[in-house]
Amino acid sequence: MPLAHGEKLSTYRIEKLPNSHLLKVLGFRKGTQFTIQSKQPFKGPIVVKVGNRSIAIDYDIASEILVEEVAHN
Amino acid sequence: MSCHGAALQEKPSNDKMKILLMGNPNVGKSVVFSKLTGVHVDSSNYAGTTVDYTVGDINFGSKQGVLIDVPGTYSLEATNEAEKVAVSLLEEGADAVICVLDATHLERNLGLAFELKEYPIPVVYCLNLMDVAERHGIKIDAEKLSEELGSPVIPTIAIKNKGLRELMEMVVKLSKEEKEPEPRLDEQERWERIQEIVSRVQTKIDKKELTFIEKLEDWTVQPWPGIPIALLVLIASLGVVVGGGKALRAVVLLPLVKQVIVPFLTKIVSLIVPAGILRNVLVGEFGILVIGIEWPFALILPYVFLFYVVFSFLEDSGYLPRIGVLADGVLRRIGIQGGNIIPMMLGYGCAVPAILGTRAASTHKERIMVASLVSFAIPCASQSGAFFALLGDRSIFALIFVYLLSILAILAVGLVLNKIIPGRSQPLLLEVPNLLLPDKDAYKKKLKLRMKHFMMDAEGAMFFGIIIAAIIAETGVLNEFSKLLGPFVEGWLGLPREASLSLLLGIIRRELAVLPLLEMNLNTLQLTVGAIVALFYLPCLSVFGVLTKEFSLKTALFIGAITIVSAFFFGGLFNQIGSLIIGVMG
Ligand SMILES: Nc1nc2c(ncn2[C@@H]2O[C@H](COP(=O)(O)OP(=O)(O)OP(=O)(O)O)[C@@H](O)[C@H]2O)c(=O)[nH]1
Ligand SMILES: [Mg+2]
Repeated sequence: MPLAHGEKLSTYRIEKLPNSHLLKVLGFRKGTQFTIQSKQPFKGPIVVKVGNRSIAIDYDIASEILVEEVAHN
Repeated sequence: MSCHGAALQEKPSNDKMKILLMGNPNVGKSVVFSKLTGVHVDSSNYAGTTVDYTVGDINFGSKQGVLIDVPGTYSLEATNEAEKVAVSLLEEGADAVICVLDATHLERNLGLAFELKEYPIPVVYCLNLMDVAERHGIKIDAEKLSEELGSPVIPTIAIKNKGLRELMEMVVKLSKEEKEPEPRLDEQERWERIQEIVSRVQTKIDKKELTFIEKLEDWTVQPWPGIPIALLVLIASLGVVVGGGKALRAVVLLPLVKQVIVPFLTKIVSLIVPAGILRNVLVGEFGILVIGIEWPFALILPYVFLFYVVFSFLEDSGYLPRIGVLADGVLRRIGIQGGNIIPMMLGYGCAVPAILGTRAASTHKERIMVASLVSFAIPCASQSGAFFALLGDRSIFALIFVYLLSILAILAVGLVLNKIIPGRSQPLLLEVPNLLLPDKDAYKKKLKLRMKHFMMDAEGAMFFGIIIAAIIAETGVLNEFSKLLGPFVEGWLGLPREASLSLLLGIIRRELAVLPLLEMNLNTLQLTVGAIVALFYLPCLSVFGVLTKEFSLKTALFIGAITIVSAFFFGGLFNQIGSLIIGVMG
């Protein structure tokens, strides 16, 4: 499932992600777990929490990141 | 940052020790630099504060050396202009690198730490933000981390000056040693190694109770209640700047200038200079010493001051990137990603740092777009002060109208530029910083420096403008000029001939396009037209300079031409329509 379709407060694990340098250095890799902290209207960014930091991800990028649900909110 | 160009500095000579301060964005490098060298550089709580390097002198015991504050980088593969600066500084070589790590995000920070190990330069790790880490319940064993990294690790709280002396002692010790570059780990190996290190050195206590700041950190990135909070912050900020500025002006500054300073100067000048033209030029009704003090100090200063009081606080708190997250959905539609809202907001202070700040944007397209929007439709604090002085007492509706128009123009111009400028904007991928209560001393220092810059810059340029005004008025050049522009100014814009003066002076500084109108007894329609023309009119000389430097002369001329044409077009259009309506009704 694309991350963009994830639900707030649920936890996911990354299965597949685009080959982006910035994503990598921000700590997103296959297997990374995170919780969705917020979603914005108008296809705004999705804020996810990895460990204790929040990272905002553009909606289009979030559509290309495939995730598996680990825990439902 | 304030109204000044980025100082290009001389590269340090070779016989001095050279130490680089590197690290991820927003980890406190600039604070470490300021504390160690005593040279103030801007630090704010968001990534991309430092976009160029600064060199500062420092003594290592008996030896002289320089410390260089480098823009933040997530890795050594540069993705924007600011990161390119960092990489090329490292390639030039140094005697040692201080790599600043954010103790609250150790894992992400270690990526760069490992890349630095591949260079033949000794590295000292500065484990900063220990206070914030503690607040988050994070404990890091610095000794163990140092064993794992094979280099010294010094825990610090830069903002409180804690640990910095130990840091320097370690740098001196290490810079004497030779360092063998370590073999490059491949991506996956490095990643696994980092995971392993973090699990060994870091312990995290999960607290059940969220503190208020943590709750606020969460709320401010949610549409609800984040958007209402953003609106509240906006209204409160406007209240402080507009309301406070008006009070400061009316109660303190105007009486001080009009009843104490100007009479005093008038008296002195009258003693020395005989009555006549020269005395008039100096202390007449529109004399250099009268207007040259009243305009900048009584009319403009209070707003600029309060703008920076509010803005510096927001900058240091870490709130601004959160507005970027909330606004991204809308800004994307005009081809700009949310992170760029920070340089745009800086533009409400001064366009020069705003344009320099675009270096942290990742694509050229976004840089040009933001720079154009700031030059075109965002009034700087000085110009806002002039608008408040011109319209505030006469017509609050006209004032609101001008600002609504500015926002409309931003959206419209954004849409158009997005279509005509080739390329794409980089999608948002932004680390949201911790919310921090700004450090009192750092905040005061920043405010003081911003005001100092304003005083020197504004007072200098305004005096210059006012002297020119006095000269062209006295020598009759203004008359010639007014005659030339008269038909246009009177016919199309509906303003009196003398308003040509505004257009002439507006080239020097933005507020000077507005202030001369104060003395012309204009009606509300004319005031509004004047304000519209001034809003879109040429950005000031310094902006022209920075556009040329950052982009090209062609770009600067292009933006200049567009601004003049639109200023006259929209100002005139408003006048024609307004006159028609008044004609029909009256
Ligand atoms: N509480 C706390 N705040 C700190 C500490 N060190 C820095 N800060 C704050 O962290 C923020 C970032 O500091 P900067 O010095 O601008 O960071 P930088 O690494 O230079 O950032 P860039 O230039 O954007 O790469 C500022 O708001 C500082 O006041 C610290 O030890 N404790
Ligand atoms: Mg910095």
